Amino acid sequence: MDTQATQLRPSRPNVLGSVSTFSVTLPFLALLLVGISLPLFGGGYWGVIATRACVYWVLVSGLNLVVGFGGQIAIGWVALLTLGAYTTSVLVAGTVTPALPPYLALAIAAVVGAIFGLIIGLPALRLRTFYFAITTLGFATIVTQVALAWQSVTGGGVGVAGPIFPEPFASQWGFYYFCFGFAAICTWMTANIAASRFGRALTAIRDAEVAAEASGISKSALLGTVFLFSGAVAAVAGGLFAALQSYITPDAFTLDLSILFFIAILIGGRGSILGPLLGTILLTVLPEFAAPLVAWSTFLYAVLLLVIVLAIPGGIAEILDFKNRRPLESDRAIIPRPELLEPLLGAPPDAGALTLDEVALSFGGVRAIDGLDLEIRPGQVHGLIGPNGSGKTTTLNVISGYYAPQRGAVRLNGAALPVFARHRRAHMRIARTFQTPRIVGSASVLQNVMIGGTIDGEGTFVESLLSLPRHRRDEATLRDTAILALAAVGLERLAPVRADRLQHSELRFTEIARALMLRPAFLLLDEPAAGLSAEEIERLGALILAIARAGTGVLVVEHHPDLIFDICHHVTVLNLGKILAAGTPAGIRAHREVVNAYLGA
Amino acid sequence: MVESIVSTGLAIGCIYALIAITYNVMFSASRVFSFTAGTLGMLGGVLGSLFIARMGMPVAAGFLLALAGGAVLGIVTEIVAVRPVLKSLDQHLYVLSTLALALMIQQFTAIEWSTEPQPFPRLFDIARGGFDQQIWLPMLACAVVIVGLELLYRHTLIGHAILAIAEDNFAARALGLPERSLRVASFALAGVIGALAGFAGGEMLLAFFANAPMLTFYGFVPVALGGMGNNRGAVVAGLLLGLFQQTANFLVGGIFASVAVFTVFIIVLLVRPEGLAGVTFQRRV
Amino acid sequence: MAITRRQALASVGAAALASGLAKPAIAAKDPILIGYLPALTGPSSSTGVGINRGIQLAVQEINAAGGVDGRQLELITRDTQSDPTKAVNGAAELTHGQKVSAVFGPVNSGESLAVVPLLARANTPQIHPCWVDTLTDSKKYPMCFRNAPTNQQIGGAANHYVVDVLKRKKVAVVSDTTGYGTASVNTYVPMLKAKGADVVYQGNVDAANPDLKPELLRMQSAGAEAIMPWSVNAGFLSRIINTRGQMGWDVPIVGQTTLGSGQTQALLEKPEYWAKVYPNNFRPVCYAAGGKLSDRTNAFLDRLKSAKIDMGDTLLWWIALGYDSPRMIAEAMKNVGTEPEQIVGYLNKLKEFPGVYGDIAFTADKHDGYPDNEVVMVEANSLKDGAFNLAPGYGA
Repeated sequence: MDTQATQLRPSRPNVLGSVSTFSVTLPFLALLLVGISLPLFGGGYWGVIATRACVYWVLVSGLNLVVGFGGQIAIGWVALLTLGAYTTSVLVAGTVTPALPPYLALAIAAVVGAIFGLIIGLPALRLRTFYFAITTLGFATIVTQVALAWQSVTGGGVGVAGPIFPEPFASQWGFYYFCFGFAAICTWMTANIAASRFGRALTAIRDAEVAAEASGISKSALLGTVFLFSGAVAAVAGGLFAALQSYITPDAFTLDLSILFFIAILIGGRGSILGPLLGTILLTVLPEFAAPLVAWSTFLYAVLLLVIVLAIPGGIAEILDFKNRRPLESDRAIIPRPELLEPLLGAPPDAGALTLDEVALSFGGVRAIDGLDLEIRPGQVHGLIGPNGSGKTTTLNVISGYYAPQRGAVRLNGAALPVFARHRRAHMRIARTFQTPRIVGSASVLQNVMIGGTIDGEGTFVESLLSLPRHRRDEATLRDTAILALAAVGLERLAPVRADRLQHSELRFTEIARALMLRPAFLLLDEPAAGLSAEEIERLGALILAIARAGTGVLVVEHHPDLIFDICHHVTVLNLGKILAAGTPAGIRAHREVVNAYLGA
Repeated sequence: MVESIVSTGLAIGCIYALIAITYNVMFSASRVFSFTAGTLGMLGGVLGSLFIARMGMPVAAGFLLALAGGAVLGIVTEIVAVRPVLKSLDQHLYVLSTLALALMIQQFTAIEWSTEPQPFPRLFDIARGGFDQQIWLPMLACAVVIVGLELLYRHTLIGHAILAIAEDNFAARALGLPERSLRVASFALAGVIGALAGFAGGEMLLAFFANAPMLTFYGFVPVALGGMGNNRGAVVAGLLLGLFQQTANFLVGGIFASVAVFTVFIIVLLVRPEGLAGVTFQRRV
Repeated sequence: MAITRRQALASVGAAALASGLAKPAIAAKDPILIGYLPALTGPSSSTGVGINRGIQLAVQEINAAGGVDGRQLELITRDTQSDPTKAVNGAAELTHGQKVSAVFGPVNSGESLAVVPLLARANTPQIHPCWVDTLTDSKKYPMCFRNAPTNQQIGGAANHYVVDVLKRKKVAVVSDTTGYGTASVNTYVPMLKAKGADVVYQGNVDAANPDLKPELLRMQSAGAEAIMPWSVNAGFLSRIINTRGQMGWDVPIVGQTTLGSGQTQALLEKPEYWAKVYPNNFRPVCYAAGGKLSDRTNAFLDRLKSAKIDMGDTLLWWIALGYDSPRMIAEAMKNVGTEPEQIVGYLNKLKEFPGVYGDIAFTADKHDGYPDNEVVMVEANSLKDGAFNLAPGYGA
């Protein structure tokens, strides 16, 4: 089973020691073993509880991709459980359509669930977090109300009998194995996604949306896919739930259940498969241990959630993350290896230049950029300097597609770049880094860099789901390329380390490695030297020069004039949105106005 | 018929508007929405019933104690669910922490107080009928809060300070404003407003723990539609919501009325995510 | 001091603990385990709480008198929290885990619908007091018995009162949006029409809606001459009664037993609003013509008083039903032992179990044990010591 750790096979010994695949899959194997052998030591009662845990996990595994990986606060997912349960039951009962065999009904429910998963999830693309959370609650209520009102189909308040699956799944243990099978398959599939470019891209959307866009990840496409999958899987869980209950009424689909699903993921830890799995089992089983606790179960779930959020935001996964407890070396040096850039970046691109022609942009009454001409040629380093507020970062953002110029245009090879198509920039091999490093803190450095190569993958979501050969090839290639990129910037020893344990300067170089994954024709660096020591700035300069020599056109926005004058072929000085001076470093250094306005005597 | 729909619609709209103002006051102080706003409304009714009906206190004393309870819960929200989260990088954690806190209080109330609606005392011993106190109490409360907030924000130093913190957090701190104390004070104020909403609406909604999720949702709709932090928009939207809901109740019946409200809400939000009166966002890069 | 719900629960816990601790001391006769699935918490818990008081009292009395053949009865309680999923979990534990000899409950129809098939598969005799008609089926569920009336019986009595006794032809039928409410409306409207009544209004209203005036105005403008509400939600029912009073609309309200509960009474705006409200109730626990209760009921009330069981916030018939149920089970076990087939066989021949709540009788084909003629309508505002007068004009 592909899990997060199997990617971490760096080519040289790393700081944390080697990570064994076996140790990561061991918990899953243990659970598999316990689950398969349950009838031997557990009675019928624990069979029912275990079946319920399996059914809930089928839903939670899909929701995990939405909430845990994608970071969308979908609290009302019980709506899909309800939909799946009623669809399956009504189709099997034959009250509306001729009675269908249960497997077919379950499949149809999955399709219905996928569609509604998309419908319920799509507002996430338009709404802020809290708003989206409330709309999912609204959907959950609507579905229950419709179930109550549509009496001719759903039986209204009296409900409808659940489906009975044919032998061998009709008996209690038979049905348990049926649900256990689904649970195991869902675990496998979602673990595959977690260890794929889609899983990593989801975490990027969650924690570093801007970087995700810059890496070419389309939030709507990815979230749409995940909502489809999650909805389908939740509906299947609904069908199984209806069979487990043998009779469903609207009052079985409580908001408490929705909260349980959601909290299980948060307690388990976001970005993990094992964590939410354990969380689901815990929350299903916990109230059964003490009968008086049953009344307080939702209260206890809420307490657990609060404790997790305040004390252990990473949840169970963080508690189980032993490898990231080992201390790191204290004096680590970043030593780039520019000779690796050529194999990494490949042949120099034969793109033309990236030009800004008379670009002007105002915010309200303030002219941020006023008639800016800029040309970045492949193979050359262009520096952009100026005081704070002169329009440097705005220029970068215009090139990246965050703003549309009100006058003029940004052109690549003569053709104007489409405005606002931020995630298309990566496809044009325009890469960038950010003023504050945008990193997925809870992922490893290697995974962060692999995010940069997301668009190079060829396998589809379904292929990753089923761990088909093309997915595995993609992963191997991405992993090797990312390790190469990390080696090129000098960070390969830190590849398996959680990114939020890194120093600020290491994060900056990580961002560069990630940008290099695009084999960029143009690289835009936003204050890359901020926060670096003098030695690191020197190495950064050498790296940038080497990147340019490999054929990339680099635009460096900076506050450190020394770095700019050392490495740039051309320099443009901005002041108040206008070009104060442009030319070679020597010329700029002597330029009287620049000296007055910016450099000082 | 029409007058009943209008009077009840406006009255319950005022309750929704007050909860929306609760959300807004918390948001202004912290840029965070708290799930506890609806719970505050519920507690206003429950505490009022507890102090006055069950423990037999005079109305004024029960009223003040209920508001005090709201203030306490507001402060607890700030300390437990908001302050720790503001420090962390992941802003979205506030959704979870406030949700957890709200759930805890709701469940505790359900188990310790009652899962059934309990009577809320008749506050003024006037005969029923016509323009009953059930109807004008929420309206009065809403008017008092609007005027009071206006006076506070425009004419007192502490009000100016709160606005400053909301407007530009860093600048205000640079000027030496005690940001944390002001935030706590804002949350206490929000708590009082929420409790007032529940207390004024108690005769209509009864003392019922399930008012919390209901008010959480219906109190948020005016915020979303009127624009975040925009109290005037919230009041208008709240009144409209109340009228719409009661009209829908009458025209299409109980089940479909709530479906209608949810559907309209979601559609409006999708068309204009910033609300009907809100402002779109600026750069995040 | 009155026993509150919490004290009742605590006493169960204490009793369980005590019985557990005391085991080594008493001679080794295993207790008889009886499973019990009440909804003690959650939105539909009022019935469960009332029934619980009766059950606890009955079990205490039986055990104090020596139990069944020297074996003590042990109630294993699993609170369903008004949630069908927890009811299923609880039922699974009672049958597979605790291996109880019989189960009483669940007390809410939504939960029973899920639990009945499970208990049938587990070969466990079950007695429940839920009203939804489909909950007994002597062929499909041969071990499941109902010691309370069915929806048909309840509705039949109410409809009979409205149409035949009060002679109202135009009727408004209203319920909340719960399963029980919607199922009731679905069942009763055709029954009314079959009696020749004209159902001028039929609707499900959200119980949380604070203003029912528009609904009642619709009923009024449709020409309704009687209102029939079906809900166990005291808030909802009280709003209907209050609104009728505010409107000054003089029509009878005839319907669910909860119309007469202490909870509903507490939520009324004026005591006089409770006039002309006629809930279902059950003859054995009502005052007969001379203002007297039957001897059996009087004796029961005395026992309740001496056990200091509070009736003010619940209904007497719930407590009575709870009281009768374990006694019926104990009776069966005294006669035939604790094997499932024996118990079922005994119940199938039960001619008349003299319950406080009613005389229960079963046959192999009829597992609904409550007699038709003991379902009556009463006058809500005649409530005294937990019992009511029969409604005026009511001749069985």
